[in-house]
Amino acid sequence: GEDAFLPAPQNISILSTNMKHFLTWTPVIVQGETVRYSVEFQGEYERVYANESWIPISECSLLTATVCDITGDISATVAYNLRVRAELGASRSQWGTLKGFFNRITTSLTPPVMKVVADGYHLLVELEDMGPAFQFRVLYWKKGQERRMQQKVVKEASSVVHLDTMEAGGDYCVKAQTYVEAINRSSSFSQTQCVRAQGDTSLW
Amino acid sequence: TAGNKIFHFGACRVSMSTTEIRAGFTAIKANIQARDPIRTLSILSYPHSLHKVKSPDRCCITHHLFDFYVDKVFKHCKTEDSFVNRKISSIANSFLSMKRKLGQCQEQNQCLCGQESTEKLKQILANYEGLNVTSAAMKSLGELDILLDWME
Repeated sequence: GEDAFLPAPQNISILSTNMKHFLTWTPVIVQGETVRYSVEFQGEYERVYANESWIPISECSLLTATVCDITGDISATVAYNLRVRAELGASRSQWGTLKGFFNRITTSLTPPVMKVVADGYHLLVELEDMGPAFQFRVLYWKKGQERRMQQKVVKEASSVVHLDTMEAGGDYCVKAQTYVEAINRSSSFSQTQCVRAQGDTSLW
Repeated sequence: TAGNKIFHFGACRVSMSTTEIRAGFTAIKANIQARDPIRTLSILSYPHSLHKVKSPDRCCITHHLFDFYVDKVFKHCKTEDSFVNRKISSIANSFLSMKRKLGQCQEQNQCLCGQESTEKLKQILANYEGLNVTSAAMKSLGELDILLDWME
């Protein structure tokens, strides 16, 4: 039969959190049919030096979902264009293009998930592994001595981090933020967590 | 981590990361180098290695090599392989980021080209133009680690 007219996908937008970037759009509805989608990107290099060429994202070719993980292709801190079109059989819609550019520098950074542990007299922190792009700035202090706050920069969240050796029975507090060097930005600080060292403060 | 480094280009210091470029290049290095039939020639290292460049000339050489890759090399490296093309795009766009950062050195007049760097760049261009454009571009891309090692 005659190829159906397919409208271009609408409401194309980016969801970007903690350097993970997703392109989303609203579905194109054709009764009784499964519409598929294909996504392409164009970096500043393609726009300026390569005749405004577009590059298909193979993982998002003939996709039935209306979301595409573009993280792997947004790997430079430059302005990217993104577009998506609908496909049904031999029919292709026009391209729907993201309004405005996307630059990963705008990703939203959330405070890191952390767990503070008092292991006897040792103040430890466990940090969520957020990927190679992330470092952590950990601040810690003895309760009531905020002015003597100390800092530790953690480059890899792979294991438990030893922060300090605590005084017996002392209360110690910790908060942390992430830092992404590629975009030179930090998250806000996590909630402060406090723990108490073992032992009794009234020994003296 | 994707750690920035402080690069010293003569008097100029720039904080950049080559981690993502290296990751992109490592992912396609074997594929690209397999497309380079002429193993006896080098674009960047003939007749002298980049390592003989004096410190004051580093900024000029780096800046012009960035231009060389962006203006001449990447656009002639399109392949039939979507994965390779996407990695080349990633590298090319990262080069633009670095070019912009290196531009700071130029603004501070710390990226001047001396006699030696001018000769060196002429030699690289002669090496490049001595081959057909696709072979020259693929060979240059395949030598990216030579540039990155030298920069670091």
